[in-house]
Amino acid sequence: MTFSLNTESESPARTTLHLHGRLDAQTFNDFDRAMLDVLPRVAEGGTVVLDLSALEYISSAGLRSIAMVRKSMRARGGNTLLLNPQPQVRKVFDIVKAVPLHEVFANATELDQYLDHMQRQITGAGPAGHA
Amino acid sequence: MLFRSIASRLSLWVLAGSLVVLAIAGGLLFYLVSGEILRQAHGEATALAGEAGARIEQRLARVADTSRTLATAMATRSGDAEALLRDALARNTDLSGLAAAFVPAADNPPESPFVNRQDDGSLGWRDMRKDPKPYWEANWFRVGLHCAQGCWQRHFHSLSRRRELVNYSAVIQRDGQAIGLINADVSLDWLNLILGELRKPPGAYAFVLDEGGAYLAHDNPAMVGQRGDPALLRALAQPGTARVRLAIAQNPQAGGKPVWIYLFPVEGTHWSFGLAMPEAMIYAGVRQAFMRVLLLGLLALLAVAAITLLATRRTLAPLGTLATRAEQVARGALAFELPRARFPDEVGRLTHAFDRMRRELALHIAELTRNAKEQQRLASELDIAHQIQTALLPGEHYIDARCENFELRALLRPARAVGGDLYSYFMLGERRFCVMVGDVSDKGIPAALFMARTITLAKALAPRARSPQHLLAMLNLELCRHNENCMFVSLSCGMLDTSTGELVMSSAGHEPPVLCDADGARLLELETGAALGLDEDARYPARTLWLQPGQTLMLYTDGITEASDTDGQMFGVERLLACLRQAASCASAELADGLLAEVDRFAAGAAQADDITVLALNWHHALADGNAHMLDLTIEASMDEVFATLERCEASLRAQGVLPAVREDIRLVLEELMVNMVEHGRDDGLQHRIGLHLRRVEDAVVVELHHDGRPFDPLQAPAPNLTGDLADADVVGGLGIHLVRAMASELSYSHDEQGNHLLLRFLHPAPAESGHDIQPEH
Repeated sequence: MTFSLNTESESPARTTLHLHGRLDAQTFNDFDRAMLDVLPRVAEGGTVVLDLSALEYISSAGLRSIAMVRKSMRARGGNTLLLNPQPQVRKVFDIVKAVPLHEVFANATELDQYLDHMQRQITGAGPAGHA
Repeated sequence: MLFRSIASRLSLWVLAGSLVVLAIAGGLLFYLVSGEILRQAHGEATALAGEAGARIEQRLARVADTSRTLATAMATRSGDAEALLRDALARNTDLSGLAAAFVPAADNPPESPFVNRQDDGSLGWRDMRKDPKPYWEANWFRVGLHCAQGCWQRHFHSLSRRRELVNYSAVIQRDGQAIGLINADVSLDWLNLILGELRKPPGAYAFVLDEGGAYLAHDNPAMVGQRGDPALLRALAQPGTARVRLAIAQNPQAGGKPVWIYLFPVEGTHWSFGLAMPEAMIYAGVRQAFMRVLLLGLLALLAVAAITLLATRRTLAPLGTLATRAEQVARGALAFELPRARFPDEVGRLTHAFDRMRRELALHIAELTRNAKEQQRLASELDIAHQIQTALLPGEHYIDARCENFELRALLRPARAVGGDLYSYFMLGERRFCVMVGDVSDKGIPAALFMARTITLAKALAPRARSPQHLLAMLNLELCRHNENCMFVSLSCGMLDTSTGELVMSSAGHEPPVLCDADGARLLELETGAALGLDEDARYPARTLWLQPGQTLMLYTDGITEASDTDGQMFGVERLLACLRQAASCASAELADGLLAEVDRFAAGAAQADDITVLALNWHHALADGNAHMLDLTIEASMDEVFATLERCEASLRAQGVLPAVREDIRLVLEELMVNMVEHGRDDGLQHRIGLHLRRVEDAVVVELHHDGRPFDPLQAPAPNLTGDLADADVVGGLGIHLVRAMASELSYSHDEQGNHLLLRFLHPAPAESGHDIQPEH
């Protein structure tokens, strides 16, 4: 198996998924199927964090799968955040301008700060820009 | 020359036969006649001998008469003794001397006169009483006194008269008393003279034998005094014998030839007269007559032979001409005049038949010549076909000249001028070496044509083939076309990576190859497909093996395993393996030549029934430098194959020390392109194939990709609309091609009837500059 998926700290508001191995034309179906299980459990407006630190490789098929996840989350008012992409993955993302740069975080600290910031915005100023 | 003509032989035989008959008949006649002649000769000779004997008798009787008359007269007139003696001697010339010898007594005359005839004819006289030796004591005198009727004494040699003498003694009686003897001397010369005077046939001779068996007189003076031949004496001892045959005449004058002797006892004496007739003389007349007859007969026979010769010659003259013509026919000349047939006899019929034969022969020869020309043309065409077929085959020996990684030896020996076995080898691209051995069903010209078709097609198709199984499949399709005769060819095909020794083998119903190395020889079990040309849908599995240095791959046809010896026993796989195991080395030439020599030894004396082909491929070593080639693959266009191939690429690239970043780029590009190919290929429902060739050049990795699907040029694909967020787009497409374009340093596309061809290039820094990823696009 060249690809595997681990789900961590699953809660309706925030789910972190660890991607291992390669996400390519051979494995994207496994990922898609796994996401069909995971996404419904994520609450409206929840956040999915894809931890890419163990993802060695991605191809266009994997890009499409990630785009599908992001689309699906966006449709439900949620966010998809990418954590710590490795050089190859980062390079692919760069080439096809796959995701907005603010949704990609180099490490968990940056992500936590961002999430805290988001939390403050919601509690303080109320939800803005997110319907 | 004489005996080569029937006529001369015939006449010679006639002559020889007649001669034999004549000789036998003549001999028989001569034998019969000669008996009669001999009898006649005996009669004549006996009569002659009797006559001659009688004449001698007569002369001797006169001597005896004279002596007795004198003795009677002397009895009364002893005083006139000398006168009487002189008178008697004068009158009887036969006498040589006369003596009146008295017994010395008182009343007897005092002298005993002896008168003899001198050599000059005068008469001599002497008184014997005065002889120094008294005669009355001599033997002849005493014997004579007892011879009352008179008798011939033994002959003696007179010293005084120097001659042989014989005397006749007659007793002088007075009053019944013997008072003396009249002794008449007769010279033996005289007796010889008598013999000489006898009328004898020429060549005959006469003699007188005394009572002791010695010759008293003889026509040959040298014989006088000698003893007669023992055979003659034996005949004499038997009274009444009239003739005797001496096988060898005693008389040297007769020359040692046989003689007949006719005997006649001389009356009044103890002597025998003999007449000797040479046998040859007896037969001389008849022999001469016969010789004349024979001569005449011979002349007659010669004449007959000559006539036979002429007659036969004349009769057989046409035969001679026919014989000459027949010799001309034998030399090939058919246009000539034939003798006119005069009679409807055998010669006439022969002449007619000969004429007919000649015409028929001319027709036949013309036809034969046509046929021979045709044959010659066919043979020449076959010869050319053989040369052409040989030219279709590459050389018997091949050494990989560029890197000496392998060596090949191939031998093909057709059973006829042309055959259905084939072998071929050639380079495909820079590093793939294709080798094949095949065997067309059947033999001869059809097989040779099919072989030519196969080998030509194989060469034409090979550059398109990514693998041997692919080549076999394409070849099979081509050969199935218009193959009404259902000819087929079994073929073993291998493709060798000349750098690594990787060998992919595929077989279409062919004999399993043999792998030889230091451990021995073993069959390489290959799953084989159907023979080429039979089943359009046939599939051909492949087997990959890695040749180790020193290993030799042997390909062969059933001409090896099915070679039969004189007992009909086959060479078989066991002998093949045993022979290869015994080989001293795994050198290709040695193995191939040794195997063929062993098969020849096995099948010694038996005709080669099938074409024989053997091909040995000896792997020396892998290429030492790690440059250039990494992978050369042809795969089924399926997801599983694609990803297995990606793993192999990865491994190769890592082994080559290609930087991880470049590796990842290559992997991504290959994945995008190959997955595209798989997906595009699904449209037409056909099974497609992807060829991949990966090699490293100085500053880059070069990838070739081939796909036999419908044309698709990734360079022409529209660029995706990149908004900065893929999730914005309704449909996400074209990303893969975009990535490819972005990551490959160079990309070129071409398309032909074989499909799509992509050439990609990934820059790869020299090892010294490593450590920095090259990001062509940011």
